[in-house]
Amino acid sequence: MIKIRGALGLVPLALLLIAWELAVQFKVYPPVLLPSPAKVALVFIDDWPTVLDNALASITRVVVGISLAFLFAVPLGLMIGRYQILDTMTDWSIQIFRSIPPISLIPLALLFLGIGDKPAIALIFLAGTWPLLINTIFGVRTIERTLIKVARAARASEFLVMKDIILPAALPAIFTGLRLAVGGGWLTVVTAEMIAVKSGLGYMILNAQLTFRSDLIIAGIVVIGAIGLLADQLVRLVRSHVCRWQEGLTAVPE
Amino acid sequence: MNRFIECVDVGKIYPGKTGPVEALRGIDFTCNAGDFVCLLGRSGCGKSTLLQMIAGLETPTTGQIAVAGRELDGPSPDAAIVFQDHGLFPWMTVTRNVEFNMKARGVSAAERAKRARGFIAMTSLMGFEDRYPHELSGGMRQRVGIARALTTDPKALLMDEPFGALDAQTRGNLQDELLQIWQTQQTTVLFVTHSIDEALLLADRILVFTPRPGRIAADIAVDLPRPRAPQSKEFSELARELRGLVGAERDFD
Repeated sequence: MIKIRGALGLVPLALLLIAWELAVQFKVYPPVLLPSPAKVALVFIDDWPTVLDNALASITRVVVGISLAFLFAVPLGLMIGRYQILDTMTDWSIQIFRSIPPISLIPLALLFLGIGDKPAIALIFLAGTWPLLINTIFGVRTIERTLIKVARAARASEFLVMKDIILPAALPAIFTGLRLAVGGGWLTVVTAEMIAVKSGLGYMILNAQLTFRSDLIIAGIVVIGAIGLLADQLVRLVRSHVCRWQEGLTAVPE
Repeated sequence: MNRFIECVDVGKIYPGKTGPVEALRGIDFTCNAGDFVCLLGRSGCGKSTLLQMIAGLETPTTGQIAVAGRELDGPSPDAAIVFQDHGLFPWMTVTRNVEFNMKARGVSAAERAKRARGFIAMTSLMGFEDRYPHELSGGMRQRVGIARALTTDPKALLMDEPFGALDAQTRGNLQDELLQIWQTQQTTVLFVTHSIDEALLLADRILVFTPRPGRIAADIAVDLPRPRAPQSKEFSELARELRGLVGAERDFD
């Protein structure tokens, strides 16, 4: 079954590859603009160190930025979800700040943090914070009231309630937030690197445009997409392991 | 026989959307240690509200409640509650669910494991220690809820329609097991039900509630020897009397 599913998932990608090859064969665009798939594949051999270094630079930024966002947003979200007064206090602010695209803060980030890792990581942090925060708050809200009553009747400490009840109950939603955060962080890093940093995949493809290396641009885009897919699969894998207890509880699509 | 649970002129008024709703009025009763008391009434008569107040999960609008000689100020350490929807933590295995009340009291991990094993055996859950709640049948889930409540040696077991969602067969088995547990643990049981038969099968004493606002209409002692036979003459006479008191519009159950 898994093999068939894997093969099915490749169908749209194969169709795209065929369309691309046909476009090259029929010279829809000059080869200097649209290189053949084979030429792009060669980039992964000839320019492998460049691709690898830049990919690692981008990945590191996202990992650092999203980790910081996780450490900030999850505890905060658990508190906001648990205590009504904090929710009333923060609701408007969250709605305002989450509507601001992180990219629009690049100019400010450059002014305050200069060129380098700092502005990129700060923007990824912001891109990851809002989905994590909002989903964590939502996760806390979905807790069955009886479970909180059980804890109160057992005279459990507030710390135990947070650790053993609120956090596990919110975990599935937190992972949904993490998937969105990783996706948002990855989008942000590529854009930020085109402006605020001198390394990473975003920088690499912008630089490739200046040197007219469209094969390198497309190779960069392929890598960006592939890493996005891998990151999402990784989060899903961790989620299905951490939330094993949910197996058989959630609906399966027909 | 000491008075173990005391309610003095207890009333509860909820703020409703269309004005305040009076759920309970003038509840006066005392319950001795070791008694098995059923709170019987139609749904919406406030019997569950009273149980939640005795559990310390809700505060009465008027009157006082004392458990084990102490006026309630939040949940009492001497009582444990079992809910109809069992209240198991879906992310915890059977063992960890059973251990939770002990963990909340700071019992050491080794002691928790030992006691949990004992109560898992008592409630016939051996072999299911590492299962998650959704992998269990309704009856087994409720056994876990009962095992968890017993682990802290509560002097009072407060049960809020614990068998209401179960099929008749399972309910019968659990009723028998509960009576055995009550006899061996020598605990006081306060048991909310809307089933006349269930109340008659289990209780030493039945408090009958009238609906809206809930009041105690009758306080009936059940002196029938156990195990009780629903076919017996005394049983059906009491059942008929209770049916009149509950004021059933239709025969429920």
